[in-house]
Amino acid sequence: MSSHREAPAISRDPVADNTDTYAFVSPDDPATVTIIANYLPLEAPFGGPNFFEFGPDVRYRINIDNNGDGEADIIYEFAFETRVGNPNSFLYNTGPIDSIGSPNWNRKQFYSATRISPGRSQVLAEGLACPPCNVGVLSTPNYDTLAGQAIHGLPGGRTVFAGQRLEGFYVDLGSIFDLGNLRPFENLHIGSLQAAAGVNATNDFSVHSIALNVPKSDLTRNGSDPTNPTSENAVVGVWASASRQAATIRWESPSGLDAGDWVQVSRLGNPLFNEVLVGMGSKDTWNSLPPAADSQFAHGVRHPELQTLLPVLYPGVFPNLAKYSAPRADLVAILLTGIPSGIVPGFQNYTGSKLADMLRLNLAIPPAAKPNPLGIVGGDLAGFPNGRRVFDDVVSVELRAIAGATIPLVDKSFTPDKAATLLTDGLDQSSTRYLSQFPYLGTPQGGYQTAPLGTL
Amino acid sequence: MSDSTRRAFVKRSAATAAGMTVVGGLVAEEADAKAARRSGPVVAYIRKPANGDIVVMHGKRQVKLRDRKLAARLARAVR
Repeated sequence: MSSHREAPAISRDPVADNTDTYAFVSPDDPATVTIIANYLPLEAPFGGPNFFEFGPDVRYRINIDNNGDGEADIIYEFAFETRVGNPNSFLYNTGPIDSIGSPNWNRKQFYSATRISPGRSQVLAEGLACPPCNVGVLSTPNYDTLAGQAIHGLPGGRTVFAGQRLEGFYVDLGSIFDLGNLRPFENLHIGSLQAAAGVNATNDFSVHSIALNVPKSDLTRNGSDPTNPTSENAVVGVWASASRQAATIRWESPSGLDAGDWVQVSRLGNPLFNEVLVGMGSKDTWNSLPPAADSQFAHGVRHPELQTLLPVLYPGVFPNLAKYSAPRADLVAILLTGIPSGIVPGFQNYTGSKLADMLRLNLAIPPAAKPNPLGIVGGDLAGFPNGRRVFDDVVSVELRAIAGATIPLVDKSFTPDKAATLLTDGLDQSSTRYLSQFPYLGTPQGGYQTAPLGTL
Repeated sequence: MSDSTRRAFVKRSAATAAGMTVVGGLVAEEADAKAARRSGPVVAYIRKPANGDIVVMHGKRQVKLRDRKLAARLARAVR
């Protein structure tokens, strides 16, 4: 998936597993940017009695590079603590939770938000309340009200929310991991099944989101609010991460001990980067490094394994792709350097020659009046890979890009195969639900209201 | 025992003792070298610096030793 369980080590540590990162100019407040970092993949809504929560032993970060070196210049750090009301009860809640301060909610979470910039660490707020998980009609009867109470203003015109949200990333995992058998194209696959509609594997699952809304000037290197899309100051790199302390000692006490430096265990910039373009043996290493170290993974971008598999899995469908052996400069630009000026009219998100996997957002590109979830591939300059909006169809965009649809951006002699511009897993943004305002990801599904997974 | 014999005995004993010291030193050095050659990291923690109990772990092996001076020295290093 985008980065759900994408590497062996982090798949065993869901609380720290950074699943998706979004960064976009806020459509309802274009002077600001919204960045969302998701963790905890595939939360089943009925997963009690210990419902999902952030790890108090994890440090969550949203990182900003505003000078193109692949290192964080600005960090927003979030640290959580859990407070249990009645340790003698096994219950998450002992009655309806009608407000986030309700004494009926037995296991509350709070957090601090800190902004770190060169030479300065500023605690923006402490004791910020999270909402509970959406337990069900009796326990969390007015969930949107509860979630709304967990939207907090911060100094400097910033806003933050941390808590459970409906998964916004839609993908047909069942088909993709079954030998790349995209359901709409099954008739062309070596498996020769009948073409079918896509199935959203993340349907009704939740994640835990940290959503941050800040003025654009909070991110730029000179503190300006860029209006010229061609200015290098208009582009920032964004990724999220999670870290744990170097040592964990377990003893007879239930809590044990964490000690030592914070060590990064997960990160995410562009969706699907570590999942699809980094080999199994290097994925854990990738998760431990900053984007500045990504040149060692460039081979997987220049020569993606999936590019060689597509013509094999779909015989005769990708003849031009099968013959293309040049390094994929288009993918390097999209994922590792940003797209320079002169390639897409009116657009650039180039941060320099440093190879670094980051979402690159051109802050001077205004939100689209009629957004296209295919983003720049669909003619919408405000969408992926110009940052990433919650509804962007990154699976289709990246499938098409790897299949060769974006090669002509840098190599006019190449003609993409017809299928390359049509590839999809058969899903679109109607597969899930979103909000039109902060925090933009939809209301999580209630546990009581959710049926377990069925069989097709 | 005559004086000369007594002197010879004392000499022999001293030489033996010196030899034992040398052998003991060599054994200790060999043990140190062997420990240093151990593959993989050695992990130690001091749960209560005041009583000097140090837990040392390597792979699946764990031992506890008591060394107040070492515990105090290590505790000072992170203060």
